[in-house]
Amino acid sequence: MSSSDTPDTDVTEAEAVEVDELREGVVARLREVLGDGVVEHHIVPNCDVWIRIRPDAWQAAASSVRYTLGARQFGFLSAIDWQPSPWRRYMDSEVDKAVHGDEPKPLPEMTTGYAGGETRFQVFARVANIIEHWGVTLKVDAGDTDPAVDTWTKVYAGADWHERETWEMFGVRFEGHPFLRNIYLPSGFEGNPLRKDYPLLSRFTKPWPGIVDVEPMPGTDEEPSSEEGA
Amino acid sequence: MGLGLVESGKMPKPLSKLLNLSRSYSMWVYQWGLACCALEMGAAFGAPRYDVMRLGVIPFPASPRQADLVVISGTVTDKMAPAIKRLYEQMPDPKYVISMGSCANCGGPYWDSYSVTKGVDQIIPVDVYVPGCPPRPEALLEGVVLLQQRIKDEDIGARWRGEPIVVE
Repeated sequence: MSSSDTPDTDVTEAEAVEVDELREGVVARLREVLGDGVVEHHIVPNCDVWIRIRPDAWQAAASSVRYTLGARQFGFLSAIDWQPSPWRRYMDSEVDKAVHGDEPKPLPEMTTGYAGGETRFQVFARVANIIEHWGVTLKVDAGDTDPAVDTWTKVYAGADWHERETWEMFGVRFEGHPFLRNIYLPSGFEGNPLRKDYPLLSRFTKPWPGIVDVEPMPGTDEEPSSEEGA
Repeated sequence: MGLGLVESGKMPKPLSKLLNLSRSYSMWVYQWGLACCALEMGAAFGAPRYDVMRLGVIPFPASPRQADLVVISGTVTDKMAPAIKRLYEQMPDPKYVISMGSCANCGGPYWDSYSVTKGVDQIIPVDVYVPGCPPRPEALLEGVVLLQQRIKDEDIGARWRGEPIVVE
């Protein structure tokens, strides 16, 4: 998911001449309908296709892929918070600090995966045409603060619960959704747990213990902690 | 059971023993399967290898109102907690709780989660904790045996005279 846009060179050299007509056609047909609503796309030949949609064309994209391109099956809808975790080594275990050093890791650059992106939050959805045997992942930039996109529930009724989950987990508002309320979390839950800056409060009082074997191996008398400290 | 014996809190020992014996070998267990431990509980309770009915525990009552014992097996989430409390309150006294597995005991591997209740004993009183992730069927059956031992040693007058246990 977090891999960059640069494709694997071995694959591209071997399949440089190969053109995935099916998926190129999907992108071309979508561009025909949406015009410049399609920002960017990425095709892995004979595998998959990712298309980034302009935010104001997000709902039009749904009806286009469903009614024009025939992608009648709605897979899922969710979001990604691309911001690197601001906690870095804050909640790391003593063991990890001993292995990797005590100084904080440098904050990595924010990447936005296939088909790019400009904002911290992206909403993405998967639809498939089960007659022509292709699926497509549509993405849209949702914004950096107070993210919001249009709802898909008017086109795909099944998007209702997915959007409620995305709303409570990432805080992405879906304009026009019939009733955004908690689905997995208790009502009145505060915060958006899947945001990268959401703190795990338990770890403030008890740091993550790290992956350690607390029991010594049979036949060894040494304490495992002394081995780790060495 | 008249004679004012229960009300006075003075049960003759042979009578207590007889009643406790009967109760301990006819426990109707209401099962609350919440996660993967539920399958382990099914294997321990229902499957022929570890059949729990030979211990006098009767699984599958139709309602918590018929049950004497509830086995909380699996991860208790904050969303599920009110339902657990409500159905526990529907069980008739005397009632017992077995907490099965690390998740129900203390949160287990989800100790730092935002949504998991760190132990079912935060909402209802627990009689027996069965550790393990998941516990072996033998462990769960031993938990049942320990609970039966506890019931047999109970002062039935005190139990029935006393106020119901309330955890706030």
